[in-house]
Amino acid sequence: MGIYLWRRVVVLVPTAWLVLSLIFLLSRGLGAAPPLPSLEADAIGLTDPTSQRRATEQRMRHRYGLDAPLFYITLERSYLNPNAARRWQWHGTANQYHSWVKQLSRGDFGFSYRDSKPVTSVLLDSLRHTLPLTVGAAVLATTLALALGVFTRPRWQAALRSILSLLDILPLFVVALLLLLLLANPDVLAWFPAYGEGRIATEAVWWQQLGTYLYYLALPLACLVLVTTPGLALQLDAALQHELGQAYATTARAKGLSTSRVQQKHALRNAWLPFLTVLAELLPALVAGTVVVETVFARPGMGRALAEAAAARDFPVLLAGVLLLATIRLAAYILTDWLYQLADPRLRPAS
Amino acid sequence: MTRARRWGAGLALTWLLLLLAVALTVPYLPLAFSPDTVDLTNIAMPPQVSQFSHPGHLLGTDPYGRDVLTALLYGTRTALLVSLPAALLAALAGISSGSSAGFWGNSGLRVKTGWLVAAGAAVLFTLAALPCYWGSYRMLYLLAIPTGFFMVGGILLQVKRLSAPVPIPLDSLLQACITLVSSIPRLVLVLALAAVVEPSLPTLVLVLALSSWVGTARLVRAEVARVRQLPYLEAARAAGIPELRLLVRHVLPNALRPVKTSFPLSIAGLIGLETTLSFLGVGLPPEVPSWGRTLALVRLTPTAWWLVVFPVLLILLTTLALQQLASRPRG
Repeated sequence: MGIYLWRRVVVLVPTAWLVLSLIFLLSRGLGAAPPLPSLEADAIGLTDPTSQRRATEQRMRHRYGLDAPLFYITLERSYLNPNAARRWQWHGTANQYHSWVKQLSRGDFGFSYRDSKPVTSVLLDSLRHTLPLTVGAAVLATTLALALGVFTRPRWQAALRSILSLLDILPLFVVALLLLLLLANPDVLAWFPAYGEGRIATEAVWWQQLGTYLYYLALPLACLVLVTTPGLALQLDAALQHELGQAYATTARAKGLSTSRVQQKHALRNAWLPFLTVLAELLPALVAGTVVVETVFARPGMGRALAEAAAARDFPVLLAGVLLLATIRLAAYILTDWLYQLADPRLRPAS
Repeated sequence: MTRARRWGAGLALTWLLLLLAVALTVPYLPLAFSPDTVDLTNIAMPPQVSQFSHPGHLLGTDPYGRDVLTALLYGTRTALLVSLPAALLAALAGISSGSSAGFWGNSGLRVKTGWLVAAGAAVLFTLAALPCYWGSYRMLYLLAIPTGFFMVGGILLQVKRLSAPVPIPLDSLLQACITLVSSIPRLVLVLALAAVVEPSLPTLVLVLALSSWVGTARLVRAEVARVRQLPYLEAARAAGIPELRLLVRHVLPNALRPVKTSFPLSIAGLIGLETTLSFLGVGLPPEVPSWGRTLALVRLTPTAWWLVVFPVLLILLTTLALQQLASRPRG
């Protein structure tokens, strides 16, 4: 692995950590009371609205570790004299942040506030549903961008470019809703199912199962591809145009090679490098895209888990999701670095 | 400029001005319904023709019986109130940070060590003391900090080693900040931050600005670094113009050209982001009308095409107009 990659990793890990810590501290510090499972409190609250409820709440806060001080030092109001100025106080390691970090280092993300399930299982379960969608979209979008950038006739390119730059700027959920309204609507064209993943009959043959799965996957996949392809294609196009303006391309043309041959055999290889930089951002961007797509099409998955956690202020799930995304970005960087070396022999370590 | 392009630019500008006018005057418009009127006899009604005797819902109603036209007009106001200040804040932050990083780089700005130490101490002291004294008369104590800064700095400068100037790595600092903001995809960062803070207009504007200054900063940094090398700057420097004036009066006017293109696009992006957040139910309180909120209601009534078509049309036209404005060739 190149020194370039290590520099990136060295920068990325602490920054991701800082962002995560910031969100953690803000979520515990600002969000006055996280929406704890309040069933118990409500049931008791009917009989005695004040004292018992407060005791229950206190118990809940203790169980989730929310009664400890937030950070190593916090501002504390003096108990003896509440009107006096607040002071900074050192708490040592008995604080929420420290125990959170200790939990994380053991791989324990805590429990969801909403349904008390362990966060790890919630996320792993949702990742299983999301990965086919994102990886499929990444492969399709890359292939499509390559096809559009390389194999289109010059005559069509101007029109194509303006269509792509329009698509590039539309918000994802607008595209998703339009597709939903046009292609999964009994009033217009009911070609595709509108919601969910489809119930797969267990006795069906494997290709029937796969068919149902793909049938339900088609529209969400199309949304992600439609939204991500334009950026990729435009980038590749710009890189190709730059390379075709270089002297070696002119030489190749002067030698008598056809334009398409110069493009595919000579320019493309060099245009790969800036294109790869965009590819590194693709996978994290796609996972972010599933936030919208899975909400619109009501599919279980990582994106919907994140969106629902944000709407319901379920911070353990939200934080773990953010951490997972940072990890995915790291993985994407490592993958891209490897692809860089594949594309450009000069970047390979001397053996 | 061809005739078609001029037409396009004129149309785009007209549309944007119309939006602005609606946003400014919407409380005074003669609308038949107020934004929080709930018409329970007309729930999720398709668009109907208004009659002279009793007003109808021209663009239909949502599943709660609110008028879609009114919601969209008030939503225009929300969209502009969120995206314009956020875009301006982001542009301002991006231009100031990007230009100083591009102009001075890692070694251009030198400050005497004594002043640096004194400034660091002053900032630390303010950060530690401000929350303690916040809201009481003791805040007046903080007035002593600037005096202390000059005194401590002056004393420290007497020491020989502390009076040597050290370079401030502005460029590396900016790069670190950019990595910090962009270590997580933008939508997820905004989603997480918006979920954490209390949902309100000012906090949303801050969160959006925080996540979107990066692009402008990158653009301006690259452009300033390019302009800095040009011969006319050498001439200006030789004429003895001070550094800050050089940056503001001579470099920036030439370096802001890419920002003029990116600014309308960033507004479009922010409108998209705001509607996405409202669509997901994060960011703004649920009683604030917005395009995204109206769009989100289609999930309750999947066949209500009027809940999708009209907001999408608004977003589409606005985005197109802003894009047209950005791609206009500068004469």
